[in-house]
Amino acid sequence: MAVSTGTPPAASRSNVPRGPEPGAAPVRGNRWHRAERRLSPYAYISPFFIVFGVFGLFPLLYTAYVSLTAWRADTDGSQHDFVGLDNYRTLLHDQFFWNALRNTLGIGLLSTVPQLLLALGLAHLLNYRLRGRTFIRMGVLLPNVTSVAAVTIIFVQLFGRDFGLINWFLGLFGVPHTDWQAGTWSSWIGISTIVTWRWTGYNALIYLAAMQAVPFELYEAAAIDGASRWRQFRSITIPVLRPTILFTVITSTIGALQMFGEPLLFSASQTPMAGGSQHQFQTMALYSYDQFWGKFKYGYGAAISWAMFLVIVVIVAVNFLLARRMKGVEAA
Amino acid sequence: MTTLPLVKRPRRRSGRDRQLSAGKGVYVALAVVVALSVFPLYWTLVAASRDNASLSQVPPALLPGSHLFTNLRRAFDQADMQLALVNSLIVAGTVTVCVVLTSTLAGFAFAKLRFPGRGPLLGSVVATMMVPTQLGIIPLYIMMANWLHWANHLQALIVPAAANAFGVFFMRQYLVTAIPDELLDAGRMDGCTTRGLYWHIALPAARPAMAVLGMLTFMASWNDFYWPKVVMTQQNPTVQLSLSELASGYIQDYSLVLTGALVSSLPIIAVFLLMGRHILDGIMQGAMKG
Amino acid sequence: MSDTGSRRRTWLAGGGAVLAAALLATGCGSDSTSKSGSGGDANAKITLTVNLFSDFGYKDLYAQYHKLHPNITIKENRADLGAHHQNLHAHLVAGSGTADIEAIEIGQVAGFQSQASKFVNFLDEGVDKNQWVPSKTAPASSRDGSSLFGLGTDMGGMALCYRADLFKKAGLPTDRAAVSSLVANWDSYFATGKQFLAKSPDKKVKWFDAGSNVFSAMTAQAPQAFYDADGKVIADSNPAVKQAFDAVAGAIKDGESAGIAAFTPAWDTGFRKSQFATVTCPAWMSYEFKANPPADGGKWDIATIPGGGGNWGGSYLTVPKQGKHTKAAVELAKWLTAPAQEAWLFKNKGFFPSDQALWSSPDIANLTDPMFSGAPTGKIFSESAKNLKPQPLGPHGADIGNIYGNALVSVEQGKAGTDKAWSNANAEIKNIGE
Repeated sequence: MAVSTGTPPAASRSNVPRGPEPGAAPVRGNRWHRAERRLSPYAYISPFFIVFGVFGLFPLLYTAYVSLTAWRADTDGSQHDFVGLDNYRTLLHDQFFWNALRNTLGIGLLSTVPQLLLALGLAHLLNYRLRGRTFIRMGVLLPNVTSVAAVTIIFVQLFGRDFGLINWFLGLFGVPHTDWQAGTWSSWIGISTIVTWRWTGYNALIYLAAMQAVPFELYEAAAIDGASRWRQFRSITIPVLRPTILFTVITSTIGALQMFGEPLLFSASQTPMAGGSQHQFQTMALYSYDQFWGKFKYGYGAAISWAMFLVIVVIVAVNFLLARRMKGVEAA
Repeated sequence: MTTLPLVKRPRRRSGRDRQLSAGKGVYVALAVVVALSVFPLYWTLVAASRDNASLSQVPPALLPGSHLFTNLRRAFDQADMQLALVNSLIVAGTVTVCVVLTSTLAGFAFAKLRFPGRGPLLGSVVATMMVPTQLGIIPLYIMMANWLHWANHLQALIVPAAANAFGVFFMRQYLVTAIPDELLDAGRMDGCTTRGLYWHIALPAARPAMAVLGMLTFMASWNDFYWPKVVMTQQNPTVQLSLSELASGYIQDYSLVLTGALVSSLPIIAVFLLMGRHILDGIMQGAMKG
Repeated sequence: MSDTGSRRRTWLAGGGAVLAAALLATGCGSDSTSKSGSGGDANAKITLTVNLFSDFGYKDLYAQYHKLHPNITIKENRADLGAHHQNLHAHLVAGSGTADIEAIEIGQVAGFQSQASKFVNFLDEGVDKNQWVPSKTAPASSRDGSSLFGLGTDMGGMALCYRADLFKKAGLPTDRAAVSSLVANWDSYFATGKQFLAKSPDKKVKWFDAGSNVFSAMTAQAPQAFYDADGKVIADSNPAVKQAFDAVAGAIKDGESAGIAAFTPAWDTGFRKSQFATVTCPAWMSYEFKANPPADGGKWDIATIPGGGGNWGGSYLTVPKQGKHTKAAVELAKWLTAPAQEAWLFKNKGFFPSDQALWSSPDIANLTDPMFSGAPTGKIFSESAKNLKPQPLGPHGADIGNIYGNALVSVEQGKAGTDKAWSNANAEIKNIGE
């Protein structure tokens, strides 16, 4: 392939060893063509980066600046009161921040892991040849469509202490009434239930789209070799799905670390930002929101948001590395 | 054709449905999942068709009542639902088209084209997903209100949402495996330009993912509340803003709120029903591509 | 609402309404935008926007105003309490985005004092301060008192609502006067609660709905609660606050509280299912009683609040200077808060007027309410309002009240003892900072 070596050819992963091919050469090789090849990738990614640069990057940097000030709405003239890293130092000793971090991680694990496993199983079921599959697929995605207002009202009813359906149901088996919002574990389980309910179908659909790309012949061949269904799932489906799984792991991790709506909805109290009577389910996002909008501590709220961003970066990076390693092991 | 005998013989004939067929257990499991998923929406309908008093009864009512039209009239009376529906359709529709386009373009480039800086740039896309949403809202509003003067105009909702990292990453992950490199090489051989590869190979291959992404984007845009609440007013509301107007009384009139919720969900379900076919087709094409 | 947080349902408000934030903005320094609209053609057709955080009962009044001023059309927008005030803060700082008239709740108003210069000063617009008592005007004035930026709408004169039928079953007096003297102060209120619990045949009925509501009422009566007159936070060192906290926590330990979060659906159910026998009720709460009659056919009645007096809730109308039609907006705000309209709102919508002359007008003072078994609500709320002792407010008064209320919830849930709940709350109040 007579391509200039300066720019690696597109889609070159598999064409490295290939020699020149007769008949193809005359068409390629002119300058315009090469320039098009070299530049078009940048043209293709530019819409995203332009939108992000204007509407994402600037706000981000601005918030970073705010986090270095002592700005609060209840203090005149505090807006340009530059305090360096003071807010971040305060943060290190802020028991409410560490509490929020612990809650976020706990609820995050409780919701993400079961949710993705369930989604994988569900996608597998959806991948069968089904009657009424359009209906079923849509049905599975409905939790994500249903309006937040309806979801709020329904879940608060379900988790009601005195007259909630869940307590009523558990009561049939002799379980005493639980005040779901009161305890640490009970509230974490409650919130994880809402998260799992809302997002399992969504992730299942994403898995399904990727599963459909698995050539059926692979399964046929495996079946002929006597591989069980489970074995086929493990050694054919999972490897093909790996990029998608990585994708969902990362997006759900990010989603879990930014969790805001569900604990808010679950709270069922006059002070939903508090995340429970002892902040037992106040997440990082709730805490930063409460400090920022509730208490009008703009500088400190911005610092919490940035700290949260850093925490997310670290955890996602760890995720990435783990996923890489697992990939290496299995591929071997 | 009955499905039962096929369960024992997983191997399929050729043809369009090259999938394992489902047994009873699969249907039972899916029925449970669908029932759990549909219930809140169904219950919304129940609540919207009853009066407020019968909603907090215990055990809750499970069958629709007769107040649906009264409640609908009240809802449309109290909030500007018509305008809100039109606004939300425009915003969600435009955003969906934009996001699908920008995501396939960038996703294709990141998945299948090689260019200097690809790794770091892709990394930065993933990094932007980690930015907590609240972080940027303040300065974003300043831009909209004081510099661009877009506050309370629909473009304030559309333009910042026209591309997002989730979409790019989603497409990239999908296209990495969905397009065989050999296909692109063959395209190059035939003298395709990069644009040609995009049009003739990437776009068709991306269709299932485009359908999924389109649907997810439409839903997210339709249900978005946080940013519209800041930048729009009730004079030019989206559906979610109108809904919040219904919900802000001294006492909660749940039947009214849930009627609004029902009205706001219907267009989405309609889009669902329309797009459902396409998703299905797209997914089947993806399967045949082999 | 001087104390415990959201007088209206902040938490739900359309599920996501709370998710909504608002936004503040920077000082992009556009405060000096020229404002037109004040002068100009008095009969030009204009639309005035009014931003409220709940239903103020104004709909019919708008129609009436439109008849008087055919060139003026009024458009009202509502958001929930939290989002409304956050938006107002944001739009004030940004210098654009407010409506012509913006409501402010009394628990939030102190937070706007430092921005008084961004609102029209009603003292320059021919408003007489003496229409209201000083305790109503002071929080809506600039610190030096030279500017009045809010016109009082309703206020939350307090009373004690009780279930006469449940009282009877427990062998307690049912007559208003007898109940009022039986629970003349908070000690006797809690003691009567014990008696009620012991004698009531239905053990599922508790004495009051939520500790936080009782705590709000108690602290509302103190001459000082969370702030002193210099605007310093004194919550953790103020004996009145500590006493109220301990008394309520003690009553919770005695089983007097139903432990239901106020202003949530569970609270509504509590009214219907008769889960409590008394509620400390400001005037605006009458909506709740109307909407949730007891399923067992029981009747509410209304007596004097223990300790007498106190205010919980109430609002102001303001006109931000950045509006396009400040002149017309001022006229409308003045009209909406004029005695005639305020009296109408009490008679038809249940919002008790903050206009002090009305408290003595026979029109108001003789009003009775069939929903409370024909109780003389006009007299009860008027007297409560007259007994009101002005209390210094601060920018985070509502937050502090919420924090204590939340601590009492942890006592109700059995998750913290009185002392631990108290010290947790104080740590959190310290975290608000100054």
